[in-house]
Amino acid sequence: MNLDWGIIWQYRWDLAHGVGITVALTVLTMLIAVPGGIAIMMLRQSRYRVLRGLGTAYVEFFRNVPLILLVYWAFYVLPILTDIQFSAFTTGLVALSLNVSAYNAETIRAGIASIRKGQLEAALAMGMSHSQAMRKVLIPQALRRILPVLASTWVSLFKDTSLVSVIAVGDLAHTALQIRSQTFRVLEMLTAMAAIYWALGYPQAKLVDWIHRKYGVTE
Amino acid sequence: MEFDFSPITDNWRFLLRGLELTVVLSLATMALATLLGLAVGLGRLYGPKWLRVVLGFYVDSMRAIPVLVVLVWTFFAFPILTGVTLPPFWAALAALTIHIAAFVSEIVRAGVTSVRPGQTRAALALGMSGAQLVRKIILPQAIVRILPAYGSILSVTIKDTAIATVIAVPELMRQTETLAAQTFRPIEVYTTTMIIFFLILFPVTRGVDAIYRRVAHLGQS
Amino acid sequence: MSASLKPTAPAERAGQQPTIAYDGVVKRFGSLTVLNGVSAEVYKGEVVCLIGPSGSGKSTLLRCTNGLETVDGGRVLFDGGVVPSDQELIRRVRQRMGMVFQNFELFPHMTALDNITVGPTTILGEKAASARERGLALLDKVGLRQKADAFPSALSGGQQQRVAIARALAMNPEVMLFDEPTSALDPETIGEVLNVMKRLADEGMTMLVVTHEMTFARRVADRVLVFDHGRIVEAGPPEQIFENPQQERTRDFLGHLGWNG
Repeated sequence: MNLDWGIIWQYRWDLAHGVGITVALTVLTMLIAVPGGIAIMMLRQSRYRVLRGLGTAYVEFFRNVPLILLVYWAFYVLPILTDIQFSAFTTGLVALSLNVSAYNAETIRAGIASIRKGQLEAALAMGMSHSQAMRKVLIPQALRRILPVLASTWVSLFKDTSLVSVIAVGDLAHTALQIRSQTFRVLEMLTAMAAIYWALGYPQAKLVDWIHRKYGVTE
Repeated sequence: MEFDFSPITDNWRFLLRGLELTVVLSLATMALATLLGLAVGLGRLYGPKWLRVVLGFYVDSMRAIPVLVVLVWTFFAFPILTGVTLPPFWAALAALTIHIAAFVSEIVRAGVTSVRPGQTRAALALGMSGAQLVRKIILPQAIVRILPAYGSILSVTIKDTAIATVIAVPELMRQTETLAAQTFRPIEVYTTTMIIFFLILFPVTRGVDAIYRRVAHLGQS
Repeated sequence: MSASLKPTAPAERAGQQPTIAYDGVVKRFGSLTVLNGVSAEVYKGEVVCLIGPSGSGKSTLLRCTNGLETVDGGRVLFDGGVVPSDQELIRRVRQRMGMVFQNFELFPHMTALDNITVGPTTILGEKAASARERGLALLDKVGLRQKADAFPSALSGGQQQRVAIARALAMNPEVMLFDEPTSALDPETIGEVLNVMKRLADEGMTMLVVTHEMTFARRVADRVLVFDHGRIVEAGPPEQIFENPQQERTRDFLGHLGWNG
């Protein structure tokens, strides 16, 4: 077997650029999908039945289709529906945000729903206002349940960004696959890709475990 | 904007073949990943120290590496390393199984550790051996408890089979791409497939939840 | 240590080998000493109640009896032999002792009858049919024959505990260990469990009972051991303990419970 691991060093800046795109996609998606999730969660609590139905339909639909299909769909359908040519990066960002917002909406809803009704009653009985009860009693408790799940979602998202490579977003996966087909250094490049994802993802997975241990609520 | 769904009505057999393969790949992956995940989970709980370390490393690595990367590596790089070429379907089955099994092992572990220590004491006080305790008392309760999480993994597995399109496994996603490219009707074709996936996945998650509600009491000591 | 601190066995037992003997048992959890040199004997057919404040070591002693806890000092003897720590050997001992827990610990994935037969069939290798027959008879004995096919989740606390007693009896134990069997029960179901225990005592079962039910201890026990801070501070027949306690600690403890003889 004739291997040339020097190829990785040779293309280090391209790979680094790919890592940059992967990280940027992860961060931007989360920045969109946390407010997005809150908005959809609130939609589901709306007084109007139609809006509630819409919120629920959104969450159920986007949690129940494969992300890679959503990426293709956004790639082909968005430009036609909106009449705007999006860049591959923006298209990927939209697909990821649509998906992660649905998960976040459910995470936040479940976090709030998990707090016993008695907690609100106890706070109100003490003479707190409704907003004081939310701020001082309900939200702090809900956050303890929401944050660990958001952290897990973060790691999944980091990995899922690799799926936008199919529409030629220059993320780590796409960059590595491109270099592979240009140089025919298949084993070296694919192993390097796996190793880089591992090096970035492993500490994140460990960090998530730590967050779950520190903040997680055991029932 | 005009929609034309005739490419789908004309080619529904083509999509159906893809759907069949999606179902087969999902079920085969789930079956193998369940067995492997059970073994890994129990190995991490009851195995010797060195085994726990090795298995822990495997599980955490799978949590860190995207399934796409595992899939592409198994199909393209593994043959170069070993000289063994896997056909796309088998490469996808192997890669998905290795990936999903790690997540199954995690819920097995969580399920087992969530069974109350009092149950262990009661079984030991009867005079059961360690193996009898695990087989008769711990695992049956753990299995009930992990049902909802197992349902999510099943749903993730079905969704992940779509990624096998990147190594040209002719499952539903691949067939959809092909059909969209040939008919120049991406909106109709991709939208249809999204709906098909939704119609499969939504009942799966709901069904598992419904089953769980019926049996939940069997796991609550 | 004065003579009155030594647990005294009924006179007719003199010379007989105790079923269970504790000989200077010490148990520590980290830096906390929960049993600090406990010695006592239990004879065949005796009902011995262990009372005392929470954390005084009674439950720990019970668990040391069948090896659910290992001792850090002293010995526990069963039928003349030291209770082993080896996992295979201790199983033999456990099969001869039944245990009933505060939280019942019925197996939730099995019906009441299956809970009772699982021990005999898997551990003793008894035939399913005969185990079933005995299981039904035991359910009869605890008054729950009609609940044979019910899962634990469908039973009240008192019913669950009666099934748990039947489960322990199914192994034909020589001794029954009760670890606060009524502490997790609603007041109205305590009686039905105590009645089953009383009947068992009347049949001559050797019983060790950790309990807060002073009326039960007063009426059913042959001897009462009073625990405090990991020691037995007083031991004697219930008449002595409840009507004429010799030790300050015993009077304190009973006084806190509002017991006035």
